[in-house]
Amino acid sequence: MATDKKDADQETRLPLAGLRIIDISNVFSLPYAGGLLSDLGAEVIKVEGPARLDVSRGGAFSGVYPENEPGEDPWNRTSTFNLLNRGKKSLAIDLRRPEGREVLKDLIRVSDVLTENFTPRVMRGWELDYPNAKKLNPNLIMVSCSGYGPKGPYAQYPAQATTQEATHGLAHVTGYRGDVPSKAGQSFVDFLATWALVMGTTLALRYRHRFGKGIWVDVAMYQLGCYMVADRILDWEANKRLGERIGNRHPWLAPQGCYRCTGDDEWCVVSVHDDEEWAALCRVIGRPELAQDERFARNDARMRNHDEIDPIIAAWMASHSKTAAMETLQAAGVRAGAVFNARDMHLDTHLKARGLLEKVDFPPERGIGKRMIIGRPWKLSKLPLATRGPAPTLGQHNREVLRDILGYDEARYAALEESGVIGTRPTAARPVLRMSMEERVRQGRLATWDPDYRERLGIQD
Amino acid sequence: MLPAVLDDLLVLDISQGIAGPLCARLLGDYGADVIKIEPPGGECGRRMPPFFHDDPDPEKSLFFLLANLNKRGVILDLEQPQGADLFRRLARTADVIVESFPPGYLASLGLDHATLEQDNPSLVMTSITPFGQTGPYSHYKGGEIVAYATSGIMAISGTADREPLQHGGFPAQYEAAMNGMLATNVALLTRDLTGLGQHVDVSMQEVVASSLVINQPNYAFTGGVQGRRRPEGNSFGQVTPCKDGYFVSQEGGSITWNEIANFFGSEEMKDQRFADPAQRMHHGHELDAIILDATKDRTMAEMFKTASEEFRMLLGIVQTPEDLATCAQLDARGFYEEVEHPVIGKIRVPFRLWNMSVGGASCRRPAPLLGQHNAEIFTKLGCSAAEIGSLRTQGII
Repeated sequence: MATDKKDADQETRLPLAGLRIIDISNVFSLPYAGGLLSDLGAEVIKVEGPARLDVSRGGAFSGVYPENEPGEDPWNRTSTFNLLNRGKKSLAIDLRRPEGREVLKDLIRVSDVLTENFTPRVMRGWELDYPNAKKLNPNLIMVSCSGYGPKGPYAQYPAQATTQEATHGLAHVTGYRGDVPSKAGQSFVDFLATWALVMGTTLALRYRHRFGKGIWVDVAMYQLGCYMVADRILDWEANKRLGERIGNRHPWLAPQGCYRCTGDDEWCVVSVHDDEEWAALCRVIGRPELAQDERFARNDARMRNHDEIDPIIAAWMASHSKTAAMETLQAAGVRAGAVFNARDMHLDTHLKARGLLEKVDFPPERGIGKRMIIGRPWKLSKLPLATRGPAPTLGQHNREVLRDILGYDEARYAALEESGVIGTRPTAARPVLRMSMEERVRQGRLATWDPDYRERLGIQD
Repeated sequence: MLPAVLDDLLVLDISQGIAGPLCARLLGDYGADVIKIEPPGGECGRRMPPFFHDDPDPEKSLFFLLANLNKRGVILDLEQPQGADLFRRLARTADVIVESFPPGYLASLGLDHATLEQDNPSLVMTSITPFGQTGPYSHYKGGEIVAYATSGIMAISGTADREPLQHGGFPAQYEAAMNGMLATNVALLTRDLTGLGQHVDVSMQEVVASSLVINQPNYAFTGGVQGRRRPEGNSFGQVTPCKDGYFVSQEGGSITWNEIANFFGSEEMKDQRFADPAQRMHHGHELDAIILDATKDRTMAEMFKTASEEFRMLLGIVQTPEDLATCAQLDARGFYEEVEHPVIGKIRVPFRLWNMSVGGASCRRPAPLLGQHNAEIFTKLGCSAAEIGSLRTQGII
């Protein structure tokens, strides 16, 4: 009991403790925001339909299964789903049926925050858009995330991150120098939305705390994506310049680039910001005379003669490992960074010391074991934060939510279960990608794989 | 006018560059009174291109303008004892300090959070640095490309036959600003409950790494290490040329593969070797040829409209800054604000990141000129005209 008391005290210190969030969102942006809000202490109830699972529960699109084994319940086992939805409760209820929406309305009445990322017309159609939802709970905070926002010429356009990265302007400035536009990473704008959604929710909570009123936070991914090129838009406004693709170079400082190191597909970046750093770089690579060379001594000359500098740096890099290159250059005061892959993210000494990745221990019956997942990119000196448990299985908390939180009697609960409005299994099987790790490498889906990764991570048992 | 959510706060911004200043600006957007404190000569952000009419005047950096809206500005030399003392006096009444110095620098001046909170226990200090306040790389220097390299995103960007590729522009800086602001909000919510401030530590490396929610757990669940895509066989899901530019199409949403084939006007695309995602990977070259042929005479605008409105298909077009500057959707969102700057004049700036039903972002001031509000702010702090004159002569303010 003493331990329970201590845990309870710890719990109440979290800034969002005691708040209930109804999360009917899907895929990356808003589910991830909900996961972070759970880390901050909120009770987050993830609502999905037995016939409309979160897309991230499917393996082909956004995740893999532990040990590449789909198991009996693949929808509960995908990696990305389990990262994004950590610490949440799960209610699986069919919102397309009126009985399901009645339950949602009851939940809205007893909750603090509602988060959703449907195309704007869906919530309007259900009469659960903000003006209507507010009637159920005048102090409700509603957080919406859509592709383009509920109004304007593109309001009803379908949107996902892959295609939006082009439309919101980032692809225009991304690409190898002089080459075609490109995309970087994966679903980039989703994560911009995640940050905005947590910013908006925390602002809204403070607004309600100060002024006693609810608020609607309306995030459009397109608008956020466009903000990431705000400096380029200003350059157009002021100077009518469209910008060009410069690959890994810096727009006004030189040299900067990404150079091949020893090993297979190992690289290190260098970025020189002033003449002093250039002189330091020249010393490190054993060419101190280049610091005074008039072709390179000053930034404007280095910008002009960048093509001559690249092979000089490349020659030094070719005989160094990426970590040795980074450590040696940084020790001399030169900006450098090894290009980390997913393995490095887990094993790098700095990220390990910082504890960016957190270990989640799944209950034995889940058959998932221990796994590392991304925590949060910020630390607060007096607020120890951590993920507060694994993501739920589908419908794991149906009973708790309907019986304990909403106080439905057993007969009503049983009726919802019998009519299939609530459930704990998907009503339709979804395709499961079964492909060996070797085949994934052969097809180019993976660069490589480590059969011994669990030993490397210390998550064997 | 309704009260703004942060209008009870005084924020001191001693950060430089992009991420820290933009974080402080976001607090200002929601009502905080933000005082930007620069060293004599101005912070490095004033020397960052692009410049208005390409004139490298420290009052004409457009990046500086963008990151420093909604602030008043003073000069204060923190490295001189009198300057540090004035800062300590300001910090006694401040709610938030935003800074981006190398870890340990403020402690060397006696201006770190641990020291300042002795006189102001509710003070929140938010530090945004390349690698955070602790750990073996905490003293490393950073920058946009360093964050991209060490976060894991560069390793999966670009093509497998070439070097890893960063995003263009400065998205890591913008993302760090957003995380700085949200973590500050978390600290403020905590302070509202407990009365206590704290030190907020934001690492740019970790900010960018935190977007790898597919890539990271792939390793932790299977040992898989993702690489960069192959250079060919990407016309579906990657940037592809058309008549007047480039587009990207994507599977997903409510549309079937047959309808996607109809959009491209290709019966051949309906064949099982393309329709089945597992087989499609082996026929990338063929699919590239079909799509390139189908779109070589189609324009971006037509494809975007047709795909979005008639097919409800996911299709994006590579818009330029000019397209964004004239975008009716952004206007409908209130994205732009017109600012009257004392040196630049009237200029339209991208401003609003998202919308709120009440208490949303408001644009109240242009970026400050260097030292513009010295007299007003130091007078309010209790300095006499004579003292201000003397401080100015000594180069402290």
